Amino acid sequence: MAIKTANFIDPFDSAQERGVAGVFGMWVFIAVVAMIFVACILGYVVVRFDQPPGREWMPEGTPGLPSALLLSSAVLLISSWTMQLAVRAARLGQQMQLVYAMGATLGLALLFLAVQALAWNELWTRHATIESGLYAWTFYVLTGVHALHVIGGLPPMVYVFRRSREGQYTPTDYNGVVLCAMYWHALDVIWMVLYATLWICSALT
Amino acid sequence: MTTIQLPSPGAMPDTIEARPASDNYLTHTRGILSWIFTLDHKRIGVMYMWSVLGSFLLGGTFALLLRTELLTPGPTITESADTYNQWFTLHGAIMVFLVIIPSIPAALGNIILPIMLGAKDVAFPRLNLFSYYLWVTGAVLCVVSLAMGGFDTGWTFYTPYSTTTTAGGVIPVLTAAFVLGFSSIFTGLNFIVTVHKLRPPGMTWFRMPLFLWAIYATAIIQVLATPVLGITLLLLIVERTVNIGIFNPSMGGDPVLYQHFFWFYSHPAVYIMILPAMGIISEIIAINSHRAIFGYRLIAFSSIAIAFFSFIVWGHHMFTSGQSALMNTLFSAISFSVAIPSAVKVFNWIATLYKGSVSLTTPMWYALAFLFLFTIGGLTGLHLATLSTDVHLHDTYFVVAHFHYVMMGSALIGMIGGLHHWWPKIFGRMYDERLGTIACWIIFIGFNVTFFTQFMLGSQGMPRRYYDYQPEFQIYHVISTIGSYIMAVGFTLTAISLFGSFFNGKKAPANPWGGRSLEWQCASPPPFDNFAKAPRVGDCYDFSVVHWDPKLGGYRVDESNDPEVNPAAQGTKAAH
Repeated sequence: MAIKTANFIDPFDSAQERGVAGVFGMWVFIAVVAMIFVACILGYVVVRFDQPPGREWMPEGTPGLPSALLLSSAVLLISSWTMQLAVRAARLGQQMQLVYAMGATLGLALLFLAVQALAWNELWTRHATIESGLYAWTFYVLTGVHALHVIGGLPPMVYVFRRSREGQYTPTDYNGVVLCAMYWHALDVIWMVLYATLWICSALT
Repeated sequence: MTTIQLPSPGAMPDTIEARPASDNYLTHTRGILSWIFTLDHKRIGVMYMWSVLGSFLLGGTFALLLRTELLTPGPTITESADTYNQWFTLHGAIMVFLVIIPSIPAALGNIILPIMLGAKDVAFPRLNLFSYYLWVTGAVLCVVSLAMGGFDTGWTFYTPYSTTTTAGGVIPVLTAAFVLGFSSIFTGLNFIVTVHKLRPPGMTWFRMPLFLWAIYATAIIQVLATPVLGITLLLLIVERTVNIGIFNPSMGGDPVLYQHFFWFYSHPAVYIMILPAMGIISEIIAINSHRAIFGYRLIAFSSIAIAFFSFIVWGHHMFTSGQSALMNTLFSAISFSVAIPSAVKVFNWIATLYKGSVSLTTPMWYALAFLFLFTIGGLTGLHLATLSTDVHLHDTYFVVAHFHYVMMGSALIGMIGGLHHWWPKIFGRMYDERLGTIACWIIFIGFNVTFFTQFMLGSQGMPRRYYDYQPEFQIYHVISTIGSYIMAVGFTLTAISLFGSFFNGKKAPANPWGGRSLEWQCASPPPFDNFAKAPRVGDCYDFSVVHWDPKLGGYRVDESNDPEVNPAAQGTKAAH
């Protein structure tokens, strides 16, 4: 750290205790993130099924959900798998595999964002703009909020990637990888729920 | 039981005398940077405390402006009703987001919680400092909002007004509330992990001081409810900037959805404000009655019960919004049930006082004031939970009076009581008890003059938030305004008594009130690392081992007769 924090006192007696607390803290944080999406999804469902009489959710000519979402879902699923490979490699002390797996996850995360951008572009060019009302805008908001969380996950992932290249994780101390993986899997699960909700709500017309 | 003069093993004296008293967390490192970048929970708590008290002064000033404006019907000190709208909005937003929500958990909780746990710090000290700077960012954004033309939406930011008003500062203040929400979330997260993972050996869940139970229950609400506010405010910002229509019925949206979202957070937020105050009251009443708290488990569970109920009663803010009769009935019924855990607490506190040997210290006066004011505030809540009376009382001064009795008369009085309770611990100085007590009485009287009058005003139909009113209401408004001036005098005296302690206060003993929980076993002010070695945990409400020691000028914990600590001594504890 650039600034020396002279009065830092570690509240924990051992790195292991700190690790356990970190994992617990991440669970609480995942609960925070989950509440954000529970609110989003519930709000979306209410607006979707509580349309004023005579108002169509998807009027004639509205484009359906972009097909790019199928691709991005697959990318995110695979990135969860590579992330788990990284955890496994760290646990077994396989430094090279850890670096590769973290690098792959990072690459797939960027790819996911790129495909999401394609999906937005697909919908936008097919005139799902402000005139087409809430159908398009709820889509942009929901996927946008999720993308923001993915972007928020990138700096910690880059940090873990760099530290694993420096060989800083050992089979007894690889908590950073675990925390990263927990957050990543949570975003994956949230995306699946979100996508399923969007898909069901767009299919029911 | 006999008092044994030998220094007891591991008890207070040897933790205190091991190091020079002049080396404490306030003096351990020096210079402004050692505060700005501090990771010490006590220093972060002290910074929160000054920030919150500064905001309180600001919010209080707006309250006095409001009350002065209402002295006469029509214009009094401002010609513009818009200015009045900005004042009450600022008063509400500052008091809720910048003062009451962070006051107890972030300020007092940060200082006291780890010491009470016998821990060296909170679980994540860096996150803790980050939370503080999020608070500062939120406060700065509030000022930015003022500079950009202020906001007149009321602190609730109800749509469609908040999306259409021409006031220029709406988006900055929404961002401020968003950022402050995350400050609150990270504090809550930190406290949950701290309570789970940093309890010392021997402190089981049911040996935790009740303040910790209260903060823990609060933290659960902070973590689960505040994210919903975050996303709501984000949607509102998007709605106001690009007009997506989610809260706009002409575009297929629903303004009442905003109310649901908002109150899903803001009703639990009411308990974020009151629960920690209840925790403080449990501590003050038990310690100053020198008697084990009555119904420990019930008080602990009632905190959790209140946290649970807080999530399922939000609809009682919306009885007149057009939600279905079934929803209204359900929300009304569930709202009544909140009265049960609240009353459990009040009765247990009263039972603790009964046959206790009560010391009427300043914090104790605040606790007694809390009992009166919270009872009135709680019982008038029942009028508002009742559908038929709520339709009459909705959006009148009755509601204003009710929530001031709970938010100010209870949460804030509890906070000020806690400030007096722990002030000697935090700064190592005793304040003027007589002045403190007089100030408490003046605040209590001023408070009732201000807000009891508003119950009458509201029940006769005076709507809240109005700049102008019928002349028949004037007498009540005048009385209410006089009451607010009395309160201002009381708070000024409180400030004099507290700040005066820096100049002529006696040095505080480690244990001035006779507490048993761990924070009283460490020096006043605490050393920078709280405890040189992990303290031993006793029953924090067993006061039979706490004795007055004239040499210390405070109390001393002597556990040598406690069979749990010293197996050689037997049976003396049972006599109590």
